[in-house]
Amino acid sequence: MSDTAATLTHGSGVVMEPSPYGVQSKKFTMWLFIASDAVTFGAMLFGYSYLRAGTPDWPQPFRFSPSILNGMVMTAVLLTSSLTMLAAVAAAKAGRKSTCMQWLGATIFLGAVFATLHLREWFHMFDEGWGLARNPTGGPVMFGATFFSITGLHLLHVLSGIVALVVIAIGYKTSWLDQGHVETTGLYWHFVDLVWMFVFPLVYLMNAAR
Amino acid sequence: MDHADSLPMKSYVGIWIGLLCIAGVEVFLTYRGFSRHVLLAFLLILAFIEAGIALLYFMHLKYDRPILLWSFVLSVLFVLLMMNQVWPDAYRMVSLGLH
Repeated sequence: MSDTAATLTHGSGVVMEPSPYGVQSKKFTMWLFIASDAVTFGAMLFGYSYLRAGTPDWPQPFRFSPSILNGMVMTAVLLTSSLTMLAAVAAAKAGRKSTCMQWLGATIFLGAVFATLHLREWFHMFDEGWGLARNPTGGPVMFGATFFSITGLHLLHVLSGIVALVVIAIGYKTSWLDQGHVETTGLYWHFVDLVWMFVFPLVYLMNAAR
Repeated sequence: MDHADSLPMKSYVGIWIGLLCIAGVEVFLTYRGFSRHVLLAFLLILAFIEAGIALLYFMHLKYDRPILLWSFVLSVLFVLLMMNQVWPDAYRMVSLGLH
């Protein structure tokens, strides 16, 4: 049943107009969240870019190996997880529950790999002396503040997505949740991937040692 | 029904390969010796192409009602556009030699 039909008789006989968006309310809500979250990430990237543009001796600490190489692998892993998420949604729509579970498992695994690589990069930087307010080269400390804030917020989204996917997988397996929940969570996961499409070039590649 | 249509998995695999290639091009361009501003322009153009593909195909906006795309994507782009007012101040900081 579509939500559009449901809204027509919602409440105590009150006739409501159908949704112009023609999507389930949970999917619409996810789009609202994505729009607000996109602005949040946009503001953080603008803040970072403002500081970078206004700082002449901005550090460029990322060597091709290991940092950029690690970022490339992270990009490939996250893009692949979007593909497995698409497969999970397609299987859920077709009613193939066990296949959907397998693809959700693959997405969770790839998300965990991404988070592990992310943390490995962080610890490598900590070892070099970088921190939220530390610059081992003696230059401006804002690099660490912006880098760890932006990548930290993204990592938080990945970890939240992994938790959400686990909950959705359990709920879908036990029929507590339906394929609409799988699709809506997939939307979130693709958004996390989309954000990385800006974080990798702006935060990593623009700060590559050349 | 949310989706009037969607692509077969084979097509999604093609899009995935395309996105990987764009990411590879970004890394390639990074080491071509372009100036900071030219590199930034290239990387932003490629990032927006990637994001557009992800929005249209992975997030299925191409198959949802167009109003969804116009409402959310345009409003976000408008807000991001308005944030560009910060640049004169960023460059003013450089010209003042505060660093």
